[in-house]
Amino acid sequence: MPELAETYACVPSTERGRGILISGDPKSNKVLYTNGRSVIILDLNNPLNVSVYGEHAYPATVARFSPNGEWIASADVYGTVRIWGAHNDHVLKKEFKVLSGRIDDLQWSPDGLRIVASGDGKGKSLVRAFMWDSGTNVGEFDGHSRRVMSCAFKPTRPFRIVTCGEDFLVNFYEGPPFKFKQSHRDHSNFVNCVRFSPDGNKFITVSSDKKGIIFEGKSGEKTGELSSEDPHKGSIYAVSWSPDGKQVLTVSADKTAKVWDISEDGNGKLKKTLTCSGSGGVDDMLVGCLWQNDHLVTVSLGGTITLFSASNLEKSPLQLSGHMKNIISLASLKSDPKYILSSSYDGLIVKWVQGLGYSGKLQRKENSQIKCFAASEEEIVTSGFDNKIWRISFHGDQFGDGDSIDIGSQPKDLSLAFLSPELALVTTDSGVVMLRGTKVASTINLGFAVTASVVAPDGSEAIVGGQDGKLHIFCITGDTLKQEAVLEKHRGAITVIRYSPDFSMFASGDANREAIVWDRVCREVKLKNMLYHTARINCLAWSLNSSMVATGSLDTCVIIYEVDKPASSRMTIKGAHLGGVYGLVFTDEYSVVSSGEDACVRVWKLTPQ
Amino acid sequence: MSFRGANASSGMGVSEHSKSTYLELQRKKVFRYVIFKIDENRKEVVVEKTGGPSEGYDDFTDSLPEADCRYAVFDFDFVTSENCQKSKIFFIAWSPSVSRIRSKMLYATSKDRFRRELQGIHYEIQATDPTEMDLEVIRERVR
Repeated sequence: MPELAETYACVPSTERGRGILISGDPKSNKVLYTNGRSVIILDLNNPLNVSVYGEHAYPATVARFSPNGEWIASADVYGTVRIWGAHNDHVLKKEFKVLSGRIDDLQWSPDGLRIVASGDGKGKSLVRAFMWDSGTNVGEFDGHSRRVMSCAFKPTRPFRIVTCGEDFLVNFYEGPPFKFKQSHRDHSNFVNCVRFSPDGNKFITVSSDKKGIIFEGKSGEKTGELSSEDPHKGSIYAVSWSPDGKQVLTVSADKTAKVWDISEDGNGKLKKTLTCSGSGGVDDMLVGCLWQNDHLVTVSLGGTITLFSASNLEKSPLQLSGHMKNIISLASLKSDPKYILSSSYDGLIVKWVQGLGYSGKLQRKENSQIKCFAASEEEIVTSGFDNKIWRISFHGDQFGDGDSIDIGSQPKDLSLAFLSPELALVTTDSGVVMLRGTKVASTINLGFAVTASVVAPDGSEAIVGGQDGKLHIFCITGDTLKQEAVLEKHRGAITVIRYSPDFSMFASGDANREAIVWDRVCREVKLKNMLYHTARINCLAWSLNSSMVATGSLDTCVIIYEVDKPASSRMTIKGAHLGGVYGLVFTDEYSVVSSGEDACVRVWKLTPQ
Repeated sequence: MSFRGANASSGMGVSEHSKSTYLELQRKKVFRYVIFKIDENRKEVVVEKTGGPSEGYDDFTDSLPEADCRYAVFDFDFVTSENCQKSKIFFIAWSPSVSRIRSKMLYATSKDRFRRELQGIHYEIQATDPTEMDLEVIRERVR
């Protein structure tokens, strides 16, 4: 049975102009963040140890550990809060529909009995506090007229709740049962985040007006501000206190994070400015932060998680990254099978090392979206949503210059002949284009709607699949294609075709969930009845010795068949990726790497039967 | 025009041989499986093939045609979680999606009439491709 060996997690999903809230469990050094419909629990000590909770029906926004570390409460854009176990199987305890719109922030009371949630209520309640097990309200929260971006619960008695929002107000409530006490309008722009110090004596609010204001925790009176010498030059998106309550970390759109010393009288003085190295550009804006034990965690708009050491601010930080969006394809380099390249449709290409995890992002000169991706030893070929094919040379960790070739219509599928990588076959709506190097060798109109294609490793043959499920085999002579055979067995549009590494067989998958293995020479069916998926087959991979075929489908499963055995003796990996499996590759005899819509890459080890 | 009643039934008879073969499977356990076919000329359901008790599920699936419909009865032996040896009879309406429409219609409308003749069926399965009558599916049903 296949077992999960490693997960290369996705990064938090971010949005320009808005901060994100990440939280953590100081006891176990784990951080929580959300991406799409999943909540990801990442262990800071071992980033390969990742747990994913995918039970939300709508995109999740924020998640928090309970004070005792046993439960996690997570919220989504629909307004529901789910409370589930932090360990093992993540069993659901309760689910409440708390607000009628998106929930932006959520906090537990220090005794773990109450939860306050704030967000967008479409005019009705924008903040609600309720008992965690029964859902009964514990207060009335008026005072805000627009979206409430953040809320905080005083961690010591007497209990107070502070909320802040887009109406520039900071509201202070006393309770329980919580009632409005006072309101402050000291900020001149959206107030993005509010946090109490761990001892409850102070709380700080940060805002898009680049200021941070410190208030007294019990009474709610303003006591001071973050000093205005060398302030942030952009909106401050998030703030986090140190465990001893004497320092805060703020992150801002000016791409820096600052550590401030907070004095007893409630004023803040800048201690250090931390910058993260990046490519420059919008992606380096910092949108989220967390101070957990010795780690200072900052999250950038591009999804890079940077870990600084709190005790040694001069030490260069550790950077982790990954994909934020659907990973559409995977490739492994033959020269070094430990490296895996993954590309997502937003144009990001990431290199991973098995055993270590994130190895680096590959920057291309033109960052266009990627629809199809193929990699050979020295170059990668990509196509996007325009009419161009990019061939970019590739050495070690860097991309060299790329050339773009305009082929006249949008490419639908792309394939490289591995033994003579000059030849690339690109399919368009009604035909194929053969590329030799960076020149278009020929454009051939085939007369039928083409969906998938593959070219033989030595460039002698090509197979083109159509919308009607027929496979057309062509022999390549020079720059022309001569049709040799038409195979009809599929009952749906062909989605993927792949040759086996030993070139004796090829396998094809269709949109009707069926895959078939054919013998290449006599063009007969070798293995059929591979019908165990319940939705369209998205990707297909051969094992290195051509003995196994793996198929990945929209139904989130990966099924591995052995070519010599009947299709019914198969190995299934259920729920490999929430949303569908889009990329598959074998890195050695017993490891399959899969990637999917949840922006994660997973490595599975197959135990031989 | 004569209306044959509220159900859509096609008027295929059931041969005596079919009935007695089924009874032998059920009472005397002479067969592991029986495969029935509709003989259009004689307008009745007849026995196409039987399998001895030593044959297994794979022999049974191999005997079913890939692109034509059949009815089948299979005697499934298994051990329950409490360690009891049990045996359940499955009726399988094999109607692959690759078969002809005419065939599927004929077998679908005659099924009710045929089923009524077979007493003592524990579970019924309709399979439109080999994955739907996989051994795993059978095992799940008896649990």
